Amino acid sequence: MATTAPKAGAFPSPYEIETPPGCDGWEEMYPYYALFDERRRDTDENRFWFWNSMHFPVPMPAFDVICIDSPYQAVGAWQNRVFAVPPAMGIDYRCVNGYIYISGNPVTDPEKIGERAHFFQARASYYYENWSELYGKWRAKMESLIRELGDLVVPDLPEYESDQVAFGEDRNTAFYEVLDAYVRALRLADLMWQHHFEFLLLGYGAYGTFVEFCKGHLPDIPDQHIAQMVAGIDVLLFRPDAELRRLARLAIETGVDQAFQQGRSPGEIDAELGQSEAGKSWLAELEQVKDPWFNMATGDGLYHYYRSWLDDPSIPYAALIGHISALNAGEQIDRPTEEIVRERDRLASEYAALLDEESRTSFNELLNLSRMVFPYVEEHKFFCDYWFLTRWWNKIREFGALLHRNGFLEDLEDVFQLSRYEVASALDELVLTWATGGLPLGPKHWPPIVARRKEILQKLGEWTPPPAIGVTPEAVTDPMTIMLWGVTTERVQEWARQQEGGSVLNGAAASPGVIEGVARVVRSADQIGDVRDGEILVCGSTSPAWAPIFSKIKATVTDVGGVMSHAAIVAREYGLPAVVGTGRATSQIRTGQTIRVDGSEGTVTLLAAQEE
Amino acid sequence: MAEYIRPLRRLCRSDEPDYGGKSANLGELLAADIPVPPGFAISTAAFQAFVHEAGLGQRISSAVAGVSPGDVDAIGRASHAISEAMRFAPVPDVVRVEVEQHYAQIGHAAGLDSPPVAVRSSAVGEDTADATFAGQQETYLWVRGVQHVCDAVRDCWVSLYSPPAISYRARLGDAPHPPVMGVTVQAMVDAEVSGVMFTCNPVSGDPSMVAINASWGLGLAVVGGEVTPDDYLVSKVTGEVVREHVHAKGVEYVPDPSGGGAVRVEVPTDRRDVACLDQTALAKLVEVGKRVERHFGSHQDIEWAFARDSGGELFVVQARPVTGLAKKPDKPKPASAMSLIMGKFGAGPPKE
Repeated sequence: MATTAPKAGAFPSPYEIETPPGCDGWEEMYPYYALFDERRRDTDENRFWFWNSMHFPVPMPAFDVICIDSPYQAVGAWQNRVFAVPPAMGIDYRCVNGYIYISGNPVTDPEKIGERAHFFQARASYYYENWSELYGKWRAKMESLIRELGDLVVPDLPEYESDQVAFGEDRNTAFYEVLDAYVRALRLADLMWQHHFEFLLLGYGAYGTFVEFCKGHLPDIPDQHIAQMVAGIDVLLFRPDAELRRLARLAIETGVDQAFQQGRSPGEIDAELGQSEAGKSWLAELEQVKDPWFNMATGDGLYHYYRSWLDDPSIPYAALIGHISALNAGEQIDRPTEEIVRERDRLASEYAALLDEESRTSFNELLNLSRMVFPYVEEHKFFCDYWFLTRWWNKIREFGALLHRNGFLEDLEDVFQLSRYEVASALDELVLTWATGGLPLGPKHWPPIVARRKEILQKLGEWTPPPAIGVTPEAVTDPMTIMLWGVTTERVQEWARQQEGGSVLNGAAASPGVIEGVARVVRSADQIGDVRDGEILVCGSTSPAWAPIFSKIKATVTDVGGVMSHAAIVAREYGLPAVVGTGRATSQIRTGQTIRVDGSEGTVTLLAAQEE
Repeated sequence: MAEYIRPLRRLCRSDEPDYGGKSANLGELLAADIPVPPGFAISTAAFQAFVHEAGLGQRISSAVAGVSPGDVDAIGRASHAISEAMRFAPVPDVVRVEVEQHYAQIGHAAGLDSPPVAVRSSAVGEDTADATFAGQQETYLWVRGVQHVCDAVRDCWVSLYSPPAISYRARLGDAPHPPVMGVTVQAMVDAEVSGVMFTCNPVSGDPSMVAINASWGLGLAVVGGEVTPDDYLVSKVTGEVVREHVHAKGVEYVPDPSGGGAVRVEVPTDRRDVACLDQTALAKLVEVGKRVERHFGSHQDIEWAFARDSGGELFVVQARPVTGLAKKPDKPKPASAMSLIMGKFGAGPPKE
């Protein structure tokens, strides 16, 4: 289902990709099952894998691999085992030179697909019908999960245990507490990812169906307009900036706005504010706002590199400085919600009016459903990717600090150079030697490993991964691959063309369709009689006098002309793919040459050359 | 007696059989207050009078008899024979007198003795692009003086027997009546910029877009595919320019400085790569395009021009329904939202 009649050639085999110089041994950073292993070669080499550059644009540090394993466990569990999406199970991943390639597992047996459809229809319908109630519960679950993470203490290893341990009811010693805290931290991450994917497929599915419907009926509609029609007004993600605007106004009202000067660091601003009573009360108000609204990430991604506004307040402070200077200049900084609502409704009704009645009904139904699921689509990022994840990485940093204090790491950030199993192992030795008073090997063992890995990661960062590896699919049919990553048949074909490096001419897409055939270059009207049935006409521009041959040819390409020239109009009427205005088709293409005309994309690809 | 000429502003849709589509549509546009240059229409009856007076009927039918549509050489010979005969036949006096009167009125309105006009064929009963290609191609720009106008009118009539036109009709098979043609004569806009707009994207079929092609000078270069024009796609809903490609525009048509006709000249290098429309011009075009579309109730293919002087006024010189719109095979079929979503997940419609 995911691939039909695969063909080799365009993309490199995963088994033939070379390790960049100086990166030997990169594999040790990743789990054994994440590698292209010889023992699985027969299968893995004959699959289509694409680089998940959306979530993993840079090489994975060893610890961050948990943000591959856990999401793919969770998405697979919901997609394959709960909702049983009929044609698609879960997603496999492999690591090449530190970059993550993924491939869906299709369901091909029609009987199985039918069986799964039964589950899917019942379970998905239940979610859509009870969306708001279920989503309300989801938010409560996430908030309690985040609280639990906040309450998780990473204990230190004391010289002597407290009296509480000696005399109290709670008799756990630090060795157990440290190991337990680590296991609980990992477990909380798994739980977050599990929650993350509960609604994701159905949320994106509903929204994606609306997007697809819009693009099918209104192919040129800007993505922005679709988003505007769906976007919520009172969305959580707007709150952080709304709070900053409020704080900006408060600073002006209480006369402390002079502290916010362009070029000052957050520390400098805080220091000045701390000198006055008004400043102190503004800072107290800021503290109120920070939880939870400063749990925004400074970047969008699944790496430990992304910190929150709490860790690095330069983004919110820069915003405060901007808001205050705008307000002092008499500008309006509030989000014009009424205007946004008006524009959103105007767009929706004008677009609806352009459709026929039946399509309009579908459009409106899908729009309403999209608006219903959209709070989740936007807000899960705040709860999961920003709030939970930035705090969770900090929790791991606490373990890093523990290992650093005890000489196992030169820097607490180095904890991310070890896999989660290696961290467990280092903690094991640490608490063991703490308990026994013995000499730990860790301080000699881990630092050189960390140093080497940092160097490898940096070098891997300079390597450019191919967009895809393995076999080229004839068609991408996996709905998840299309929906979540936008990897469509056209996209893959485009990648393949780039890999093949064939010569491509660009022009205006004048009449849609893709066709391959033999070119006939016609430079003047007296050569028109040479055109044979089924050839592709390549000419400077199409003269009206050439109408008779449009019934003979199967596509046309011109050097000059626009999509409204008569040549283009007639090509559309005859249903012939046409690319016009290529600038140099008659000089680049020779009669007899095989070319591919893509009248939808406006490209002409020169394939095999043939002597005249 | 048959009517030979009528001012454009007195024509409407139902006059199409007698005056051809182009003239009838211009009459409609004027009635809808769309800025159209003034002019008059010559009826098909005038053409019939011409053929009748010159005694050409028999010669024409024998020349085209049995010509096969794919035989380029035979079509060329037939076309040549008919054109030669027509070119030497006079325009009937009754028609000539009326042309003179109406031409003088255009001159009077413009304050000119021999005002420049555009003379175009106005085909009857053919509204496909293919037919347009075959029969409506003739356009004579910047024609001045009664004699030249009459010559241009006759040239339009001759174009009814151009090789593509003959080939097109041969493909359609035997017609019950010999073909006829109207002619449109319109005051000429000395265009600084001209082009074509579609009130939908003709390539993708998107009804929310106005697609505009524009180039320097009179409107021949864009339609004839002689330049790669600037290409704009503008949202009808928000007026945003969704796509803009400015191309090098090598040639333009300008009025012949010697007095009559249009000449093809090279565009000076300093203007060649410059976008020929700005935001204001695009907004005007979209506004007019939407009005024309609303008037006719269907997507329109509109030729337009911005005048060189008189404040860069916008004129519509032709409008016709868009034809040959590409069918998008992957357009999602309307259905209930739930079954569309189920389809996206490969689950088919839900069971009731």
